[in-house]
Amino acid sequence: MSKTKQLLSLLCRRLLPTTCCLAPFSANSQIPSLSSHLQSSSRAPLPLGLDFFPNPKTYLLSFCSQSAAKLDSTPKRCWNCVADAPSSTPFLYCDSCRTIQPVDLSIDYFQIFGLEKKYEIEVDGLERMYKDWQKKLHPDLVHSKSEKEREYAAEQSARVIDAYRTLSKPLSRAVYILRLEGVDVDEEQTVSDPELLTEIMEIREAVEEAPDSQALNQIQSRMKEKLEETSDSFEDAFRRRNFDEAVTCTQRMTYYQRASEEILKKL
Amino acid sequence: MLRLVASRLLGTASREVPSRPLQILPRLYHENVIDHYNNPRNVGSFDKNDPNVGTGLVGAPACGDVMKLQIKIDEESGKIVDACFKTFGCGSAIASSSVATEWVKGKSMDEVLTIKNTEIAKHLSLPPVKLHCSMLAEDAIKAAVKDAEAKRAKMNGSSKAADVN
Repeated sequence: MSKTKQLLSLLCRRLLPTTCCLAPFSANSQIPSLSSHLQSSSRAPLPLGLDFFPNPKTYLLSFCSQSAAKLDSTPKRCWNCVADAPSSTPFLYCDSCRTIQPVDLSIDYFQIFGLEKKYEIEVDGLERMYKDWQKKLHPDLVHSKSEKEREYAAEQSARVIDAYRTLSKPLSRAVYILRLEGVDVDEEQTVSDPELLTEIMEIREAVEEAPDSQALNQIQSRMKEKLEETSDSFEDAFRRRNFDEAVTCTQRMTYYQRASEEILKKL
Repeated sequence: MLRLVASRLLGTASREVPSRPLQILPRLYHENVIDHYNNPRNVGSFDKNDPNVGTGLVGAPACGDVMKLQIKIDEESGKIVDACFKTFGCGSAIASSSVATEWVKGKSMDEVLTIKNTEIAKHLSLPPVKLHCSMLAEDAIKAAVKDAEAKRAKMNGSSKAADVN
């Protein structure tokens, strides 16, 4: 029963942006800081007559100070003690009654870690925050609790793990932040930029023919350099909102990353 | 020598294919794929600057694969007399390009343009997740033909100019 609820709530959330919010993604990206208390939780009833949906947890953090329509604007409440959600931290866990909340897919990975939605982040702070979250959300802590909460724990902690992994590596972070902007790298598309491909071919051939680990390490450090360079280019392109260029950068990074992994296999 | 090149190439290929696939993980890869992986045909390189050689260099950005397919054209007949490939990627990508080199030999350039990725995929029984590997092979063939035709056009152009003079 709860699964169908979740499915329906997902469907409704997918529909809502197209029907009522002007430009959810672009509006979000204009907002400077996550920790600023800009969310507006109006008490307007859900459009599309979704009141049959006895799910008070369909609150979506909406940072659109300019957008007239809100995404889903019923205020978040804890399912257990009905306390209001705090305005400043993502509502994964209710501190008043210490219960884990169900996964809210509208909270993106950056919000989970209290970070601004931009590519350059403080990677050092991530681990500490990740551990702090797991101290509240980990499934091992809820053995004595209800089945519902154990389910929430499993899903929430899995999501936090995913968020941590995605954000801690530059390439996955780049792909994720592009996805949040609605830009997906098409798997099917083949690339035929001769310059890039020739470069990669040469690198891969060099790896294959490398006589010893010293040569491999040399190539490895070159790869790291290239990755950093391309990462900077990505940041630049993303900031200028030149998404085509940004995608090209992620493609280059994927190739360098692949080469780097092959070197590690050989070492 | 060829075995050395082949085994080196295989060494850099993905670890996806286990050493004894038929025993540990039956039917993970179709036997055709394993065959092309263990006995790769036509691995190698032609001289890129040879006017009768067309080089197709393509890549799949999502998985970081890169595939080079080269064809040697017979000057008079315009048919493909030889082909070779070099692919860095998963077993399916390697097998797809190997199959491609086999299929283009002896055909005319127009004919090989009709080779579809679905045929390659069917021959290798590629699962849906690996269909883009066959697409890559099809694109490689097209790129190689395009390159060869461009070179021929250049040659014909310059020889015509010479005739006029």
